[in-house]
Amino acid sequence: MKRILIVEDEEALCLLYKEELSAEGYEVTTARDAEQALEILRRERFDLIVTDIRMPGRDGVELITEIMGLRKEVPIIINTAYQSYRDDFMTWAADAYVIKSSSLDELKAKIRDLLSR
Amino acid sequence: MIEAQPFLAPDFQSKEPRELALLSIVTQSFFQPFSVDDNLLVILTALTSGSGVGFNRAMLFRTDGDKLRGGKWLGPRSPEEARMIWEVLSTPGLGYLEIIEHNRWLLSRGADAMSGKIAPLEFSLTRDNLTIPVTAVAKKELLLIREASREPLVDARFLETIGVEEFLCVPLLFQNEVMGEIILDNAFSRKPIQPKDVKLAGLCGLMAANYIYTASLHQKMVEMERMAALGEMAMFITHQIRNPLTTIGGFTDQLLNGQADEAKRRRNLEIIRGEIRRLENIVFELGHFLKFDPKRPEPFDLKAELRSVLEAMEPRAAAENREIRSEIDGLLPPVLGDPTAVGEVLRNLIINAFEASPAGSRIEVCAERKDASWVVVGVKDAGHGIPPEARAKLFTPFFTTKERGMGLGLLYIKRVMDACGGTIEVESEAGQGTTFRLGFRSQEEGRPET
Repeated sequence: MKRILIVEDEEALCLLYKEELSAEGYEVTTARDAEQALEILRRERFDLIVTDIRMPGRDGVELITEIMGLRKEVPIIINTAYQSYRDDFMTWAADAYVIKSSSLDELKAKIRDLLSR
Repeated sequence: MIEAQPFLAPDFQSKEPRELALLSIVTQSFFQPFSVDDNLLVILTALTSGSGVGFNRAMLFRTDGDKLRGGKWLGPRSPEEARMIWEVLSTPGLGYLEIIEHNRWLLSRGADAMSGKIAPLEFSLTRDNLTIPVTAVAKKELLLIREASREPLVDARFLETIGVEEFLCVPLLFQNEVMGEIILDNAFSRKPIQPKDVKLAGLCGLMAANYIYTASLHQKMVEMERMAALGEMAMFITHQIRNPLTTIGGFTDQLLNGQADEAKRRRNLEIIRGEIRRLENIVFELGHFLKFDPKRPEPFDLKAELRSVLEAMEPRAAAENREIRSEIDGLLPPVLGDPTAVGEVLRNLIINAFEASPAGSRIEVCAERKDASWVVVGVKDAGHGIPPEARAKLFTPFFTTKERGMGLGLLYIKRVMDACGGTIEVESEAGQGTTFRLGFRSQEEGRPET
């Protein structure tokens, strides 16, 4: 079973992603902020990471930079409400950039796509 | 010995050379909180006042795209008016502020007459337009025109408007940019324009151009800042709205898929309702912020307002297990402000303190008379304190450390305090909690001596 780490500060969204992605057949772990995500990443291995950018505490972009160092070959999807970070060169390092919307189809498709490579 | 000298000479010294008087009028005006229009008026004043260059009339054209457009025309309308004005302006000890005030008055009443005459005038600034007055800016030269009616290059409409045979065209240039043109004449004294008048007028032209250029740069900068702030606001609101939309959409889809049992359906609906309320709150807060319109500050009873806010907060304090301790000076004088807005400010500050403090802790509210003219209200929470980097951004719109905040609360408080001439200060130390202090201007006149 493929393992996905979701980094998302909104409680309801964490719940939604967890349920929806579990239903797709993934094993989902959620972290509510960057610190927690890094802690989990240091001791567990994942096949894919989905992260928001602006969160309380450490900035998501900073987190991605740090995760890049830890993740080795793990693909990253930036999943955010901000359109503008798409132009931030730090986010180019991510494998996909998904803008949050009322449909999870795009996010699910990107996950399927990246995990099948 | 060290002696402080004033930058601003209170009046003109008639003994001073007029070049110096002129320079001082123009440069001093840049110290004043004048508008661009007023400062240009000062330059026209310098050119026309007897203690300045002493032309009878000055007209100003401004560049507007590829057109030179008529703006202001300063000067008397008739020889009688000229005599009267010269009498007024030669009053001994008259300061330049009075002269500017006088000219502002002159311009306001002449707006339909003098300036009104040149307002419809506009000339194309194309390279091949070599008529007067455009030639001066096209060739970037000071042009002295004599026997204008015999000169075919003088624009007929312009000549009809100015109605004199001799005038001076001063281009307003900043580096290679054309900012406008000033045209000067001696319609009433009929004194021929002297070479030294031309020199001084040229100098004024350079100052005017430089000033217009700087003012336009400043305006551009203000606009850019406004656009940047607007962009920041749009980005923040987009984010604030997209998150609940994503949640609502996702949980609604689950409901529509029909696989949810009764408990899950109920849970989803509750989440959806919560997110809709959140969206509603965003709209409410934004609307509230945008329509901010405090009333004129009036004296009101701050302690009564504070007591009623504290009383209204009691049930919430009890429910959330926080204690509010208040110390309110019973002899507080009335303070200046909009009572409704101030009430909201106090309520917001106390709610903020609630949210920052852990359950079981105490919030301290005090109100005291600081001195004869200030009353201070302090609200202290029992939170972690605000880190210095966040403290610097406290009053920036859309800056928030709350997961669901809009970052408008403290800015609202600051705007209310600014509107009543008050102050807001923050004191915060890590682990020691944060104190917000509001300073209100008090009104002790009506207070009986104790």
